[in-house]
Amino acid sequence: MEQTNQFQLKQQNDVTVLHIQGDITAQSEPVINEAYKKADDQGAAQKILVQFEEDAYINSGGIAVLIQILAHTQKKNQQIGITGLSDHFKKIFNMVGISKFAGIYNTVEDALEAMS
Amino acid sequence: MKEKIRIVDERTVEVDLPNMNGYERIAMECSASFAKIGGLSKERIEDLKTAVSEACLNAMEHGNKGRPEARVVISMHLGDKDFRVSVKDEGNGIPHVPQNIDIRRKVAKLEPPNGLGLYLIQQLVDRVDFNEKTDGGHVVKMVLKMECQTAPCPCDEDQTPTVIEGKR
Repeated sequence: MEQTNQFQLKQQNDVTVLHIQGDITAQSEPVINEAYKKADDQGAAQKILVQFEEDAYINSGGIAVLIQILAHTQKKNQQIGITGLSDHFKKIFNMVGISKFAGIYNTVEDALEAMS
Repeated sequence: MKEKIRIVDERTVEVDLPNMNGYERIAMECSASFAKIGGLSKERIEDLKTAVSEACLNAMEHGNKGRPEARVVISMHLGDKDFRVSVKDEGNGIPHVPQNIDIRRKVAKLEPPNGLGLYLIQQLVDRVDFNEKTDGGHVVKMVLKMECQTAPCPCDEDQTPTVIEGKR
Protein backbone atom coordinates (compact mmCIF):
# COMPACT_ATOMS: atom_id res chain seq x y z
CA MET A 1 0.00 0.00 0.00
CA GLU A 2 1.64 3.20 -1.14
CA GLN A 3 1.98 6.02 1.30
CA THR A 4 3.08 9.53 0.49
CA ASN A 5 4.57 12.08 2.80
CA GLN A 6 5.19 15.66 1.84
CA PHE A 7 7.51 18.17 3.39
CA GLN A 8 8.20 21.88 3.46
CA LEU A 9 11.36 23.67 4.49
CA LYS A 10 11.29 27.09 6.07
CA GLN A 11 13.98 29.19 7.66
CA GLN A 12 13.08 30.83 10.96
CA ASN A 13 16.06 32.89 12.09
CA ASP A 14 18.87 30.37 12.48
CA VAL A 15 16.58 27.35 12.66
CA THR A 16 15.58 25.30 9.62
CA VAL A 17 12.02 24.12 10.16
CA LEU A 18 11.29 20.85 8.42
CA HIS A 19 7.52 20.28 8.34
CA ILE A 20 6.70 16.67 7.47
CA GLN A 21 3.11 15.88 6.58
CA GLY A 22 1.51 12.49 6.79
CA ASP A 23 2.00 9.35 8.80
CA ILE A 24 5.49 8.30 9.81
CA THR A 25 6.22 4.66 9.02
CA ALA A 26 8.99 2.64 7.41
CA GLN A 27 7.52 3.70 4.05
CA SER A 28 8.37 7.31 4.92
CA GLU A 29 12.09 6.63 4.64
CA PRO A 30 12.71 8.00 1.11
CA VAL A 31 10.83 11.25 1.77
CA ILE A 32 12.32 11.83 5.23
CA ASN A 33 15.81 11.17 3.89
CA GLU A 34 15.21 13.57 1.02
CA ALA A 35 13.83 16.18 3.40
CA TYR A 36 16.82 15.94 5.71
CA LYS A 37 19.26 16.07 2.81
CA LYS A 38 17.61 19.24 1.47
CA ALA A 39 17.70 20.78 4.95
CA ASP A 40 21.34 19.79 5.35
CA ASP A 41 22.30 20.98 1.86
CA GLN A 42 21.20 24.48 2.75
CA GLY A 43 24.58 24.80 4.31
CA ALA A 44 23.86 26.63 7.51
CA ALA A 45 21.50 23.95 8.84
CA GLN A 46 23.10 23.43 12.22
CA LYS A 47 19.72 23.72 13.91
CA ILE A 48 16.84 21.69 12.52
CA LEU A 49 13.33 21.61 13.93
CA VAL A 50 11.26 18.67 12.73
CA GLN A 51 7.57 19.44 12.83
CA PHE A 52 5.09 16.57 12.58
CA GLU A 53 1.32 16.72 12.24
CA GLU A 54 -0.44 16.18 15.54
CA ASP A 55 -2.81 13.56 14.16
CA ALA A 56 -0.02 11.65 12.42
CA TYR A 57 0.23 7.91 13.01
CA ILE A 58 3.78 7.01 13.95
CA ASN A 59 4.92 3.43 14.30
CA SER A 60 8.19 1.74 15.22
CA GLY A 61 9.20 1.60 11.56
CA GLY A 62 8.90 5.37 11.34
CA ILE A 63 10.81 5.84 14.59
CA ALA A 64 13.60 3.67 13.16
CA VAL A 65 13.82 6.07 10.18
CA LEU A 66 14.11 9.00 12.58
CA ILE A 67 16.84 7.21 14.52
CA GLN A 68 18.82 6.89 11.29
CA ILE A 69 18.46 10.63 10.77
CA LEU A 70 19.64 11.24 14.34
CA ALA A 71 22.73 9.18 13.55
CA HIS A 72 23.57 11.70 10.80
CA THR A 73 22.78 14.75 12.91
CA GLN A 74 24.91 13.52 15.78
CA LYS A 75 27.83 12.99 13.43
CA LYS A 76 27.42 16.53 12.09
CA ASN A 77 26.90 18.04 15.52
CA GLN A 78 23.51 19.44 14.53
CA GLN A 79 20.96 20.51 17.13
CA ILE A 80 17.63 18.80 16.57
CA GLY A 81 14.23 19.73 17.90
CA ILE A 82 10.92 17.93 17.42
CA THR A 83 7.46 19.39 17.67
CA GLY A 84 3.91 18.61 16.59
CA LEU A 85 3.65 15.34 18.48
CA SER A 86 0.47 14.34 20.29
CA ASP A 87 0.78 13.70 24.04
CA HIS A 88 0.77 9.98 23.31
CA PHE A 89 3.67 10.16 20.88
CA LYS A 90 5.62 12.49 23.15
CA LYS A 91 5.33 9.67 25.66
CA ILE A 92 6.45 7.10 23.07
CA PHE A 93 9.44 9.21 22.00
CA ASN A 94 10.47 9.59 25.63
CA MET A 95 10.09 5.83 26.21
CA VAL A 96 12.34 5.05 23.28
CA GLY A 97 14.89 7.65 24.38
CA ILE A 98 14.74 10.01 21.44
CA SER A 99 14.63 12.87 23.95
CA LYS A 100 18.28 12.10 24.72
CA PHE A 101 19.17 13.29 21.21
CA ALA A 102 16.48 15.81 20.33
CA GLY A 103 14.56 18.40 22.30
CA ILE A 104 10.81 17.69 22.23
CA TYR A 105 8.68 20.81 22.32
CA ASN A 106 4.98 21.51 22.61
CA THR A 107 4.88 24.23 19.95
CA VAL A 108 7.01 25.65 17.17
CA GLU A 109 7.32 28.88 19.17
CA ASP A 110 8.61 27.03 22.25
CA ALA A 111 11.09 25.17 20.07
CA LEU A 112 12.40 28.29 18.32
CA GLU A 113 12.83 30.07 21.62
CA ALA A 114 14.69 27.13 23.17
CA MET A 115 16.86 26.46 20.15
CA SER A 116 17.94 30.05 19.52
CA MET B 1 -16.82 -16.53 2.48
CA LYS B 2 -15.77 -15.95 6.07
CA GLU B 3 -16.40 -12.41 7.27
CA LYS B 4 -13.20 -10.46 7.76
CA ILE B 5 -14.59 -8.40 10.63
CA ARG B 6 -16.80 -10.52 12.82
CA ILE B 7 -18.82 -9.72 15.92
CA VAL B 8 -18.52 -13.13 17.55
CA ASP B 9 -20.69 -12.10 20.49
CA GLU B 10 -21.34 -8.89 22.40
CA ARG B 11 -17.96 -9.13 24.08
CA THR B 12 -15.77 -10.53 21.31
CA VAL B 13 -14.77 -9.12 17.95
CA GLU B 14 -12.48 -10.74 15.43
CA VAL B 15 -10.60 -9.03 12.58
CA ASP B 16 -8.92 -11.02 9.81
CA LEU B 17 -6.36 -8.92 7.94
CA PRO B 18 -4.36 -9.43 4.78
CA ASN B 19 -0.63 -9.47 5.35
CA MET B 20 -0.08 -5.91 4.10
CA ASN B 21 1.50 -2.93 5.81
CA GLY B 22 -1.11 -0.32 6.43
CA TYR B 23 -3.91 -2.73 7.21
CA GLU B 24 -2.94 -2.79 10.87
CA ARG B 25 -4.79 0.54 11.01
CA ILE B 26 -8.06 -1.38 10.73
CA ALA B 27 -7.23 -3.46 13.80
CA MET B 28 -6.11 -0.34 15.66
CA GLU B 29 -9.32 1.56 15.04
CA CYS B 30 -11.51 -1.47 15.66
CA SER B 31 -9.86 -2.20 19.01
CA ALA B 32 -10.06 1.47 19.97
CA SER B 33 -13.78 1.65 19.24
CA PHE B 34 -14.48 -1.55 21.11
CA ALA B 35 -12.38 -0.53 24.11
CA LYS B 36 -14.19 2.81 24.19
CA ILE B 37 -17.46 0.94 24.58
CA GLY B 38 -15.92 -0.77 27.60
CA GLY B 39 -14.92 2.53 29.16
CA LEU B 40 -11.15 2.43 28.68
CA SER B 41 -9.72 5.93 29.11
CA LYS B 42 -8.59 8.06 26.18
CA GLU B 43 -4.92 7.72 27.16
CA ARG B 44 -5.14 3.94 27.51
CA ILE B 45 -6.93 3.67 24.20
CA GLU B 46 -3.96 5.39 22.56
CA ASP B 47 -1.66 2.89 24.32
CA LEU B 48 -3.87 0.07 23.05
CA LYS B 49 -3.80 1.34 19.47
CA THR B 50 -0.02 1.51 19.39
CA ALA B 51 0.34 -1.91 21.02
CA VAL B 52 -2.07 -3.47 18.52
CA SER B 53 -0.30 -1.74 15.63
CA GLU B 54 3.10 -3.01 16.72
CA ALA B 55 1.84 -6.55 17.32
CA CYS B 56 0.24 -6.61 13.86
CA LEU B 57 3.35 -5.24 12.16
CA ASN B 58 5.50 -7.83 13.93
CA ALA B 59 3.07 -10.55 12.82
CA MET B 60 3.12 -9.35 9.21
CA GLU B 61 6.85 -8.79 8.85
CA HIS B 62 8.36 -11.45 11.08
CA GLY B 63 5.72 -14.05 11.88
CA ASN B 64 4.34 -14.20 8.35
CA LYS B 65 7.65 -13.14 6.81
CA GLY B 66 5.90 -10.68 4.54
CA ARG B 67 4.12 -13.44 2.63
CA PRO B 68 1.22 -11.85 0.76
CA GLU B 69 -0.97 -14.94 1.05
CA ALA B 70 -0.68 -15.10 4.85
CA ARG B 71 -3.20 -13.58 7.24
CA VAL B 72 -3.11 -11.88 10.63
CA VAL B 73 -6.09 -12.56 12.87
CA ILE B 74 -6.83 -10.23 15.74
CA SER B 75 -9.28 -11.22 18.43
CA MET B 76 -10.54 -8.70 21.00
CA HIS B 77 -12.44 -9.51 24.17
CA LEU B 78 -14.10 -7.01 26.45
CA GLY B 79 -14.06 -8.39 29.98
CA ASP B 80 -15.53 -6.91 33.13
CA LYS B 81 -12.09 -5.96 34.40
CA ASP B 82 -9.88 -5.93 31.36
CA PHE B 83 -9.62 -5.68 27.60
CA ARG B 84 -7.77 -8.52 25.91
CA VAL B 85 -6.33 -8.59 22.42
CA SER B 86 -4.62 -11.50 20.76
CA VAL B 87 -2.75 -11.21 17.47
CA LYS B 88 -2.19 -14.43 15.57
CA ASP B 89 0.20 -15.05 12.71
CA GLU B 90 1.26 -18.16 10.81
CA GLY B 91 4.82 -18.22 12.09
CA ASN B 92 6.81 -20.11 14.67
CA GLY B 93 7.10 -17.56 17.42
CA ILE B 94 9.43 -14.80 18.49
CA PRO B 95 12.98 -16.05 19.12
CA HIS B 96 14.06 -13.09 21.22
CA VAL B 97 12.01 -10.52 23.09
CA PRO B 98 14.04 -7.44 24.03
CA GLN B 99 13.49 -6.29 27.60
CA ASN B 100 15.26 -2.99 27.02
CA ILE B 101 16.51 -0.93 24.14
CA ASP B 102 19.70 1.07 23.93
CA ILE B 103 19.04 4.05 21.73
CA ARG B 104 22.59 5.29 22.12
CA ARG B 105 23.85 2.15 20.36
CA LYS B 106 21.24 2.57 17.63
CA VAL B 107 22.13 6.22 17.03
CA ALA B 108 25.81 5.28 17.04
CA LYS B 109 24.97 2.62 14.40
CA LEU B 110 26.33 -0.12 16.63
CA GLU B 111 23.05 -1.97 16.22
CA PRO B 112 20.13 -1.72 13.78
CA PRO B 113 17.62 1.08 14.38
CA ASN B 114 14.62 -1.24 14.28
CA GLY B 115 13.35 -3.75 16.83
CA LEU B 116 11.39 -1.24 18.90
CA GLY B 117 7.92 -2.70 18.47
CA LEU B 118 8.10 -5.53 21.01
CA TYR B 119 9.67 -3.21 23.56
CA LEU B 120 6.87 -0.67 23.10
CA ILE B 121 4.21 -3.34 23.56
CA GLN B 122 5.66 -4.25 26.96
CA GLN B 123 5.68 -0.62 28.01
CA LEU B 124 2.12 0.07 26.95
CA VAL B 125 0.05 -2.89 28.14
CA ASP B 126 -0.44 -4.41 31.59
CA ARG B 127 0.40 -7.97 30.62
CA VAL B 128 1.71 -9.62 27.48
CA ASP B 129 2.42 -13.20 26.53
CA PHE B 130 4.65 -13.25 23.49
CA ASN B 131 4.97 -16.89 22.71
CA GLU B 132 1.81 -18.84 22.84
CA LYS B 133 1.45 -21.43 20.13
CA THR B 134 -1.84 -22.21 18.49
CA ASP B 135 -3.13 -24.31 15.60
CA GLY B 136 -1.23 -23.22 12.53
CA GLY B 137 0.62 -20.38 14.14
CA HIS B 138 1.69 -18.20 16.97
CA VAL B 139 -0.18 -15.69 19.14
CA VAL B 140 0.75 -12.56 21.05
CA LYS B 141 -1.73 -11.94 23.85
CA MET B 142 -2.08 -8.52 25.44
CA VAL B 143 -4.15 -7.38 28.40
CA LEU B 144 -5.10 -3.88 29.46
CA LYS B 145 -6.81 -3.55 32.80
CA MET B 146 -9.83 -1.35 33.07
CA GLU B 147 -9.08 1.53 35.43
CA CYS B 148 -10.57 0.96 38.86
CA GLN B 149 -12.28 3.67 40.79
CA THR B 150 -11.18 2.39 44.21
CA ALA B 151 -8.02 0.71 45.53
CA PRO B 152 -6.93 -2.02 45.93
CA CYS B 153 -7.68 -3.07 42.39
CA PRO B 154 -9.40 -6.46 42.03
CA CYS B 155 -8.03 -6.76 38.49
CA ASP B 156 -4.97 -8.63 39.74
CA GLU B 157 -6.93 -11.74 40.73
CA ASP B 158 -6.57 -13.35 37.31
CA GLN B 159 -2.93 -14.33 36.85
CA THR B 160 -1.72 -16.61 34.04
CA PRO B 161 1.73 -18.23 33.94
CA THR B 162 4.58 -17.38 31.55
CA VAL B 163 3.55 -13.85 30.87
CA ILE B 164 5.46 -10.63 31.06
CA GLU B 165 4.03 -7.99 33.33
CA GLY B 166 3.93 -4.65 31.57
CA LYS B 167 6.07 -1.83 32.79
CA ARG B 168 3.13 0.49 33.55
